[in-house]
Amino acid sequence: MRFRSFRTRLLIFVLGLLLLVQAAVFAAVTTANVRNARQHVDEALALTAAAFDRSLAVRERILLEKARLLSSDFAFKEVCAAGDVATLLSALENHRDRVAASVMMVVAMDGRIEADTLHREAHGRPFPLPHLLEAARGDEFGEASSIEFLDAAPHQLVITPLFTPEPSAWIVIGFAVDDALARELRQGTGTHVSLLRRSDGGRWQPFASTLPDDARPFLGPSLSADLHEANRSLSMDLGGAEYVSWVAPARSVGAVRVVTVLQRSLQAALAPYMRLRSVLAAVFGAGLLLSVVGGVLLAGRVTRPVAVLAAGAERVTQGDYTQPVAVDQEDELGLLADAFNRMTRGLAERDRVRNLLGKVVSPAVAEELLSKEIELGGEERMASVLFSDIRNFTSISERVAPQELVRLLNTYLTRVSAIVELHGGVVDKYIGDAVMAVFGAPLAHPDDAGRAVRAALDMCGALDEINAELGLAGVGRLGIGVGVSTGMVVAGNMGSLSRLNYTVIGDSVNVASRLEGLTKRYGVGVVVGESTCEACPGMAFRELDRVRVKGREAPLGIFEPLGADDALAADLAEELAWHREALERFRARSWDAALDLFRRLEARRPEARLYALYRERVEAFRAQPPDADWDGATTYEEK
Amino acid sequence: MKRVTAALAILLLAGPPARAFTVEVKDTSGESVADAVVYAVPLGADGAALREPPPTAIDQIDKEYVPYVTAVRVGTRVSFPNRDQIRHHVYSFSEAKTFEIPLYQGTPREAVLFDAPGVVVLGCNIHDWMKAYVFVTESPYFSVTDGEGRAILGDLPARGYRFEVWHPRLKGPPSATATEVSVGDPARETVTIVIDQKQVWRPRRAPGAGDATYR
Repeated sequence: MRFRSFRTRLLIFVLGLLLLVQAAVFAAVTTANVRNARQHVDEALALTAAAFDRSLAVRERILLEKARLLSSDFAFKEVCAAGDVATLLSALENHRDRVAASVMMVVAMDGRIEADTLHREAHGRPFPLPHLLEAARGDEFGEASSIEFLDAAPHQLVITPLFTPEPSAWIVIGFAVDDALARELRQGTGTHVSLLRRSDGGRWQPFASTLPDDARPFLGPSLSADLHEANRSLSMDLGGAEYVSWVAPARSVGAVRVVTVLQRSLQAALAPYMRLRSVLAAVFGAGLLLSVVGGVLLAGRVTRPVAVLAAGAERVTQGDYTQPVAVDQEDELGLLADAFNRMTRGLAERDRVRNLLGKVVSPAVAEELLSKEIELGGEERMASVLFSDIRNFTSISERVAPQELVRLLNTYLTRVSAIVELHGGVVDKYIGDAVMAVFGAPLAHPDDAGRAVRAALDMCGALDEINAELGLAGVGRLGIGVGVSTGMVVAGNMGSLSRLNYTVIGDSVNVASRLEGLTKRYGVGVVVGESTCEACPGMAFRELDRVRVKGREAPLGIFEPLGADDALAADLAEELAWHREALERFRARSWDAALDLFRRLEARRPEARLYALYRERVEAFRAQPPDADWDGATTYEEK
Repeated sequence: MKRVTAALAILLLAGPPARAFTVEVKDTSGESVADAVVYAVPLGADGAALREPPPTAIDQIDKEYVPYVTAVRVGTRVSFPNRDQIRHHVYSFSEAKTFEIPLYQGTPREAVLFDAPGVVVLGCNIHDWMKAYVFVTESPYFSVTDGEGRAILGDLPARGYRFEVWHPRLKGPPSATATEVSVGDPARETVTIVIDQKQVWRPRRAPGAGDATYR
């Protein structure tokens, strides 16, 4: 998942940074502390080892002194000299208990046991530790000390000669080396003491230790075989607890090697640091919490106004300018919200203007006006201009109340304007009850002429509905006439820079207006010019006439649109053929033939004003034929 | 002085021909050995009539026995005058003469008779380091080496002898040092005997007990 929200990103960044810094601090502190603790323990162990060594030496000396004291006892010397083994053994036991030793022996100078408190029957047997005798023989004072194993039990043995006053025998005194001793040695040092033995080729085995029972089995395997050679510092893991260790060779002269291992728990040494770490963790946790809360609040200060602004922008997109965004902050976002609200007000204002403009002018024109720099002047366009007018509007206006007239007009113009716009035309202007519409400017379509014609037919077709809606009592039916003309026009802003209209100017405008005026004369709803007719392939027209309208020399063919070609009824097609035939006869001055045809057409469609018109014309021409330069066109002088 | 007297007595009693003979005792490294008892055993029958040997004494001076090594003939009475202001307790567990003179001052009334040959080691019950040796021999011809390792045996009738040496540190029995010498040849009045010494262990001397060394 991508972190899309700003709040999440900010939080992740802040927390990430915090974590990174804290982790670095934590790591640095941990490393330094562990190193310091180790170093500290190492130094302490080295000191302890020296002290321990001294204490062992002292102990050894004390033991030797005890042995010496016993060996100097005159009565004891007498007993030894007497050679009575039972007495000697008894005296040995007595002396052993005097010095709280574990074992005491007298060994003859030839290495045979005289008496042994551990083995009362051992008289005459060879002393089991010849190396100890050897060590004593090599000593200046004939003394030796070693940790040895008697019946597998560890003892610190001291040996000293019995002087009578010549050395006449060896006195051997042994003190048990056990956990109690290790505990005694440990006292006051805070250090674990372990003694380990190793026979040739064997593993190290602890025989006395202050280590807890669960750590003890791990001690032996942690030591390598050659450890007895020198002092060294080691770190070892004893069943999960790490110990900094100091290994020192113990005083032993035999084949059984013995080492002393002094240890301190790293954990214990780290205890003060652990407290520091707890404090650090607490500080870290508090920092994290504060960062989260602060981050959330800070992000909220940013994201909430942004969300409010986004919602506001969405409302504006939907066209709702009524609710300003509420961001009560004095920072940049507050400034942004203020600017946003001002912008919204500006947009609302513009939209209102645009709406109004769309009502005053056609929406397409409003669009054209808004989209471009306003400048006077126009461009040449092929366009079709439509003029419509309500017949007898003057007499209608005389018969209804003004308010009713306005309602009538508004209802009619609304409907008619909608039809124009439906067909892609633009209502150019209303002139009283008249509507001028343009197809082809400002928006052009390839079939603008067709659109204009269809709009004109729809306008006429909609009259029934309009009349039903108006429900005018006493006024009669509304009737309209529509003229359509197609040609080049100039479309653009006309007027002055301070007040202008978007409109079209050109011959077609005049012609369309004239053609509208002719509809009533020919008894049709729509009259189009020949250029429009030519521009409407696929549409059926009935030729009405050739006319010379005011202001134009050239005769102009005028037509009545009948709808789509293929939707034409068969009898209407036949009627059109007759009509064309009749018109030809008429223009060829074949009055009788023309008259006959028009009469027949009139009989076929008595309601059609056109056929009656032509019958009257033929009848008039038959009475008084036209001039020789008559070209079949009708000239209209009035507007 | 007493030894000289004893030698003179022997000289006077043994009758001519008698000569003085010097024995030098050295250790294997060539060092002179002091306090070594040198005695001569005549080869073959010895017709010399022996008188009762004169008594002698071993003093206790400054918590040491003086002399350290004394050679006596079997049957010699030895007294132990205590010249210190404190008491001493002389004892011996040696086979040749086991005895004990419990804590005393001055000279005991009874001298101790050394009536069997052998080495008698003397100790003091209350001073571990005090030690003296009495070498009891059946031979009338003996002497103890001086600081230069020389022992002079005076008035040896001219004949063949087996010289033997004993020393507190001697390794092995004295018979191992036996050296046969024919006394009477004026050109040869000295012999050197090399002995093997063993290591000995010393009891520690109590601090403040005096600076005398014990050898």
